[in-house]
Amino acid sequence: MEQELQNLEIKARETLSSLGDKDQLEEFRIEYLGRKGKFSTIMRNLANVDKADRPRIGQLANTIKKEIEKLFIEAREAIEQSGDKEQTGTVDLTLPGRRPAIGRLHPVTQIMNEVCQVFESLGFSIAEGPDVETDHYNFEALNIPAHHPARDMHDTFYISDSTLLRTHTSPMQARIMESQEPPLRVIAPGKVYRCDSDITHTPMFHQVEGFLVDKKVSFADLKGVLTVFTQKIFEEDLALRFRPSFFPFTEPSAEVDIACVICKGEGCRVCKQTGWLEILGCGMIDPEVFKMVGYDPEVYSGFAFGLGVERIAMLKYGIDDIRLYYENDLRFLSQF
Amino acid sequence: MKFTTNWLKNYVDIDGLSPQNLADKLTMLGLEVEAVTPLYERLGAVKVAKILEAAPHPDADKLQVCKVAAGQDEYEIVCGAPNARKGLITAVALPGTVLPGDFKIKKSKVRGVVSNGMLCSEKELGLSEESDGIIELPENLEHGAQFISATGLQDTQIEVDLTPNRADCASVIGIAREVAGFQRKPLTLPVENAEIKKESKAFSVEIEAPELCPRYAGRLITGVKIKESPWWLKKRLLSIGLRPINNVVDITNFVMMEYGQPLHAFDFDNLAGGKIVVRTPRPEELKFTTLDEKERTLDENMLMICDAEQPVAVAGVMGGMNSEVSDSTTNVLLESACFNDVSTRRTARKLNLSTDASYRFERGVDPGGTINAMNRAVELLCELAEGKCAEDEGVDAFPGAGTPKPVSLSISRCNDLNGLHLDKAEIVEMLESIQLRCTDKDGDTIEVTPPSFRIDIEREADLVEEIARLYGYDNIPVTLPTVNLSYPEQDPVRKLRLETADLFTRIGFSEAINYSFSSPDHLDMMNLDENDERRRQVKLLNPLSEEQSVMRTMLLPGLLENVKRNISFQKTSVKLFETGMVFMPTEEDRLPNENMRLAGVMSGNLHGDKDPLHFKQQNCDIFDIKGCIEYLLESLRIDMDDQEDSISFEIPEQTEPFIDKDQSLILTHGKKTIGELGKVAANVLKSFGVKQEVYFFDIDFDLLASVAAKPKSFSSLPVYPAVKRDIALMVADSVSAGKLLSCVRESREKLIEHCEIFDIFKGEKIPEGYKSVALSITYRSPNKTLTEKNVEKANAKIVNMLTDKFGGQFREA
Repeated sequence: MEQELQNLEIKARETLSSLGDKDQLEEFRIEYLGRKGKFSTIMRNLANVDKADRPRIGQLANTIKKEIEKLFIEAREAIEQSGDKEQTGTVDLTLPGRRPAIGRLHPVTQIMNEVCQVFESLGFSIAEGPDVETDHYNFEALNIPAHHPARDMHDTFYISDSTLLRTHTSPMQARIMESQEPPLRVIAPGKVYRCDSDITHTPMFHQVEGFLVDKKVSFADLKGVLTVFTQKIFEEDLALRFRPSFFPFTEPSAEVDIACVICKGEGCRVCKQTGWLEILGCGMIDPEVFKMVGYDPEVYSGFAFGLGVERIAMLKYGIDDIRLYYENDLRFLSQF
Repeated sequence: MKFTTNWLKNYVDIDGLSPQNLADKLTMLGLEVEAVTPLYERLGAVKVAKILEAAPHPDADKLQVCKVAAGQDEYEIVCGAPNARKGLITAVALPGTVLPGDFKIKKSKVRGVVSNGMLCSEKELGLSEESDGIIELPENLEHGAQFISATGLQDTQIEVDLTPNRADCASVIGIAREVAGFQRKPLTLPVENAEIKKESKAFSVEIEAPELCPRYAGRLITGVKIKESPWWLKKRLLSIGLRPINNVVDITNFVMMEYGQPLHAFDFDNLAGGKIVVRTPRPEELKFTTLDEKERTLDENMLMICDAEQPVAVAGVMGGMNSEVSDSTTNVLLESACFNDVSTRRTARKLNLSTDASYRFERGVDPGGTINAMNRAVELLCELAEGKCAEDEGVDAFPGAGTPKPVSLSISRCNDLNGLHLDKAEIVEMLESIQLRCTDKDGDTIEVTPPSFRIDIEREADLVEEIARLYGYDNIPVTLPTVNLSYPEQDPVRKLRLETADLFTRIGFSEAINYSFSSPDHLDMMNLDENDERRRQVKLLNPLSEEQSVMRTMLLPGLLENVKRNISFQKTSVKLFETGMVFMPTEEDRLPNENMRLAGVMSGNLHGDKDPLHFKQQNCDIFDIKGCIEYLLESLRIDMDDQEDSISFEIPEQTEPFIDKDQSLILTHGKKTIGELGKVAANVLKSFGVKQEVYFFDIDFDLLASVAAKPKSFSSLPVYPAVKRDIALMVADSVSAGKLLSCVRESREKLIEHCEIFDIFKGEKIPEGYKSVALSITYRSPNKTLTEKNVEKANAKIVNMLTDKFGGQFREA
């Protein structure tokens, strides 16, 4: 028995040192260490050994088994480690990963969402109005009567004498003021239309209108809100200027220019050498507009502004051809 | 509106202001400068020259060989101009000079004689379109001097983009007034505060429509000689891009640009009855030929200038052929008038005729400036055209309003609106710098009387703006408004739209935005029936093109165009979605119904064009598009299980004409169809020029948004194990697998937790006309571990129910 054990130990040690892979390891485990393996058989046969020898042989058998188990674990670790190496050797990790396909929101939507988020954070609510508008809301209610030269600034698509495709999002000012009482803080994003089509104009584009009406709102407040907005959308330290302009529904009216984001104000082709880029129109809401919706201009004041979304996207992303927006070319859309 | 710095200097001192400085100041005062252009830079190398001798060319009849002096040097130059003569002061381009049109001057031989440059005509210098000889310059110019500086051509043109309210700045003097204001310098005008008689013996003026013509003045100038204008006048016109014509026309144009008052010169001898009548045309007078030789059709509301018999000019827009000044004109009736803005605008619009005159009248012309401009022109006609006119001879008919009304201004409101703290004196000083007269009223109020040229100042708000403008928008502080806190309400449909868009981008769809207008042909391409509702489209009265002439009633055509475009640029795997309005007409002159729809297309490789390593080419099919909608509904927590407030997929009784008949599904919510999906019909794809299969969905987003999302509520996690049983049923091909599924779901067998199809098999062992459908059913009890017996009982019930209902044959799975 003792001899048998010693032979088994020698045999096991030899086999262990020659094991090459996991399959052989498993074979070894079953042959020697398994429930029906050689060591178990010996242990079961201990019953046949002399009672006197039994404790000694039993102890010996245990020691050898433990030793073999220890060696087996070492062998297994060695094989697993080398096996891992071999495995990693067969996988070329420089290959790209398996990426799920993703789509992109249209850049106009992205900018529009960004703009809305800035104003929502400032407590503005968001409203949307119809694309087809009445002449009343698009013009009359905004102090642009028929035959006003300001109508020249709007190349209008007409549906009938009194209905048209809105030329700006400003009709929302009248629609909302008509149905709600101040104080108001609203922005109205949406599609607008002008019958004009060339490299810098598409017949449909997007605007975001915004207005705030309350008591004692000033032009200085308008400057404050739009300065915050512009710097959130572009850069924190971006220079901007307010320049007098004219809109029939605001007075005083202004256009806001930002320092050219292309040349940083040095003067380039994009800013026509002026160093400035016009990005939005704004002003204090004209008392006539208030009167038409039944607000008392002696009590309330407010400001309104409108900005072109495509233009902001162009400046922010460096898009140089406005027609790209509506071709829905995936090579374009996937860039944003 | 264009002017030049040299021209401006005639009226106001701009020393110390560079053209760019001037431009910046104007821009910040609301006169936006579009361009600052140094003039005639291209002519920098051209010199003033004197012809010392002019001898015939030995070999050519029409050429002369001139000896020319330009400073120290003398040159021999061959010249073909008939007016080249000894003593003439002209312009020379020496070899190396590049003239407009990239015309490079070289030393050359002309018929054997070397020519060392070129004597230039106005045309060659780019100063006029036609010329019949070399330019003739004043004799006092020194030869050798730079041509543009010696002739005073060197100048800077400034172009202002005028806003409609600043009609007063549509003139060089108007600009000068603004400059004088901010420079705090005096203004020098050639003629001011002029007056003439009310009536004349030579002719009469009758205004039949005083509401359309607040003022009409005329003066008769006799003995006029029509000829070329002197150099200084031509130069002024050229410097702002106007073409000189003859002295009379040039003077009227010059004074219009100078004073902003359009003038018109009639040939008096062609005016019947020595009479001007301002009236609308009679029915028989509705054809009229304007001086651009075009016959115009008038309407009875258009204001006309007539003589005793017939119309001779469209008031404020353009003169007529019948009274035009010609080379033989000797007596000129000069008109200076003020016409109604709206009426002029209507007429110009209707005749599709926009002129420098109509531009000004449409915006409003100063009724107080009528005589100043007229007298300025008369002075020039006498000086430059040898005309005669008695000093105050003329007619001034002035039925319109006199002086402008004063406007009161509250100092405190002005400060509140602008966010400023100016005192009364500061405000008065600013307003008076631009000729607004101020009178002190009670403590907070002043009364302001605008000058007649500021027709835009009528209300307090106009004055508030003037203060903001003069103070400088840039100097107004930057503050944030103080408001009461309130929660901005959110539009739930908008929120859902943003969420939906986001969901689609996550599964590979990019967002498309197409024009809201489209081509009516699209609906033919979509195979729509003649009577289809969607053919009743909202039409544009003035579309840019036929392709964009109607408002869309479907999103799909636009998306199919996008698919085509992408494929043509080798992007053959396309997944696009769009949320946008479609427009259905209501009543005439009423707003159409706008309905938000959500549509999408997918075509080509399901996995996109990239990464063939990891993803094998797999073209998308109907289950991909169906899966996208299931994904959407699941994400939005909308039930798909035939429950109340669920959305289900159904096979339509009638397929839309643009969908493949065999691969068409509708989405229903209760009895309402809220969308459709399927494979786009082959002939539709052919019409759109798409050569690969396209799957689509199109959902009424407003209806989708009205379906309530399943509320989130917790149910305890199961503690007892589930048991799965597979069932294979052989059923006729016509039995749809979905029916089997819903039958199991509706069985109300309490132990069923889930049921799915895991295989559909046809072929060997399955008879013709049949298929094997393999279902996997999960059983679970919330109360105990199920025994074999419990499961067998439930499963047998289901098998029996299915075989009963579908005549299926149970197969051992």
